[in-house]
Amino acid sequence: MGWFSVALGATELAFPRTLARLIGIEAGAGTSAVLRFAGLREIASGVAVLMDPGRPQPLYARLAGDVMDFGLLALAARQRTSTPRFLAAVGAVAGATALDAVAARRTRRAYAAANRPVVYSVTINKPPTEVYAFYRRLSQLPLFMDYLESVTEYDGRRSYWVAKLPIGKRTVSWEAEITDDIPGQMIAWESTEDSKIKMRGRVTFSQTPGRNMTEVRVEMTLGFMGKQPSSALAKFFAKPQIKGDLRRFKQVMETGEVLFSDASEFRGKHAAQPPVQVQRKPELFVPNPPTAEKGVRR
Amino acid sequence: MRATCWMGKKHVSVERVPDPKLINARDAIVKVTATTICGSDLHLYNGYMPTMQKGDILGHEFMGEVVELGKGVTNLKVGDRVVVPFAIACGNCESCQLGFFSCCENSNPNGWMPEKLMGHATCGAFGYSHLTGGFAGGQAEYVRVPFADFGPLKVPSSLTDEQVLFLSDIFPTGYMGAEFCEITPRKVIAVWGAGPVGQFAIASARLLGAERVIAIDRFPYRLKMAIDKAGATDAINYEEQNVQEVLRDLTAGRGPDACIDAVGLEAYGHGFQFAHDSLKQKAKIQMDRPMAVREAIMACRGGGIVSIMGVYAGFVDKFPLGALMNRGLTIKTGQCHVQRYMKPLLERIERGEIDPSFVVSHHMNLSDAPKGYDMFMHKQDDVMKIILRS
Repeated sequence: MGWFSVALGATELAFPRTLARLIGIEAGAGTSAVLRFAGLREIASGVAVLMDPGRPQPLYARLAGDVMDFGLLALAARQRTSTPRFLAAVGAVAGATALDAVAARRTRRAYAAANRPVVYSVTINKPPTEVYAFYRRLSQLPLFMDYLESVTEYDGRRSYWVAKLPIGKRTVSWEAEITDDIPGQMIAWESTEDSKIKMRGRVTFSQTPGRNMTEVRVEMTLGFMGKQPSSALAKFFAKPQIKGDLRRFKQVMETGEVLFSDASEFRGKHAAQPPVQVQRKPELFVPNPPTAEKGVRR
Repeated sequence: MRATCWMGKKHVSVERVPDPKLINARDAIVKVTATTICGSDLHLYNGYMPTMQKGDILGHEFMGEVVELGKGVTNLKVGDRVVVPFAIACGNCESCQLGFFSCCENSNPNGWMPEKLMGHATCGAFGYSHLTGGFAGGQAEYVRVPFADFGPLKVPSSLTDEQVLFLSDIFPTGYMGAEFCEITPRKVIAVWGAGPVGQFAIASARLLGAERVIAIDRFPYRLKMAIDKAGATDAINYEEQNVQEVLRDLTAGRGPDACIDAVGLEAYGHGFQFAHDSLKQKAKIQMDRPMAVREAIMACRGGGIVSIMGVYAGFVDKFPLGALMNRGLTIKTGQCHVQRYMKPLLERIERGEIDPSFVVSHHMNLSDAPKGYDMFMHKQDDVMKIILRS
């Protein structure tokens, strides 16, 4: 749509008279001026589309231009010199309009999807204030976010994160800043300007209807290697991790620690057999005796 | 230590493996004094359960002596004699608080696997594939027991291993199946499958006051035990009789008030439907062979209850949903919430209301586990329940 726009615009600008004859209207001085103006508009919208093909706005501008073209054609209808040529021109504009409409809609949806954060949630059988309080001590997060090596809190707002890469022994790090913090309800954060890893996200804590449990919802977008935060990378890299993190967070809050099985203790695939030496062990245990009653019949 | 490992389809062997170690604070290490082979182990043995790995230690019914405790376990002492429930539950999550222990939200580290297959996670279980967490099982000399401050039940020394061992699974499972039937004396209960779980379902139905309990199987020795030991009033051998017709006769056309499926995904049967199901199961198009539950639904009286205790894994075809809906049947099912029943059933055993040891048919050494599996699978030597000891 972009290149087509630029080409059409250039033609309108350079050969207004030829074009007027082609579409079957009188090739007067007024017509030329109007066509030249339309050409400029075409080029502008074409360039706008080409500059950022992912953004829907330029396509909507084109759509507005198409409507304007219809208006101009309607005005020109009385001065037409060849009815078949004129009708062909109307047809061409109609076709372009349809294409623009489809492209604009698709792009808008894709754009919205890319900017909608990935969301995942879990219910934890503890009151929101307690769940928030644990999460807010960021340096504790590596206890259940198993890809993190450490989180260092500089002050109440800024923190330094080190993560292990899934393969090999290399790590990546970034700085983050808390942008919003409502005790017991919500923490929002964003990576700092100069971080190589870009992310934006928030975690909300709300009470489950009718029960004193917490619904924890994590929303985030992720970007790296020069990409701005989006859901595309987050969906692929962050979401599977968030799912596991929230499962383990729930275990820590409810049972006091992350649970390992004889197989899950190993990183990677392993049979359900005890290890020769313990591979992984929870680093923290918060005693939390079981509260359920056994032998209750319902 | 020695442990029974799954090495592939129809291949188990007793291997030398590392001894279990404490990993979590709420762990205990239990020295196994008695363990058994369960009917549901045969589903693993025959390769019908997904996510098994070579080397997985089998076994989910066991008891023993506590030899080591994590720092988070305060209610047990080294030396305690305990029975361990097959379903691992934390006792902290909402499902546990509601008494749905086999739906525990924290005990399965591989929760994402059942989430994909079944919508939500299930609890962890010992020696029962990676779908239930990848926990090493109890057909071994030692086992690591997670959430040991919640699951294991201390048993008095006045009772023998054979009397209390089955509290770990089959007795509570059979009992829950019977409890689902909302039994009153006038109710007629039919039980598909007279294996160990079926025997306990029959015995429990009698304990709960049912006057008429009908056992359905194809092995005369199992039907005989159902009548002589478990207390069934009638027996149907489906190799010789038409189950639907006999049930109709026995209930004068009403059908049983409640039907218990104690068979599960490897039901045996006859005719085109059975051949069709078997073929699909072999081709991995269908995971289960639901002959028994289909029959139970068709037989059950209008407004009755169908209680499914047999294990199923995935999706089934030709499920009589029309019969279920139009005749207002209720299905009740679930992996047993063992922790709910252990204590009350132990009390029944102590009071002498039931002696679960009646199902024991063989004693073997742990090293002979492969022979035990083969025997149990082929129903040789009138096998009912095999106890393994190391």
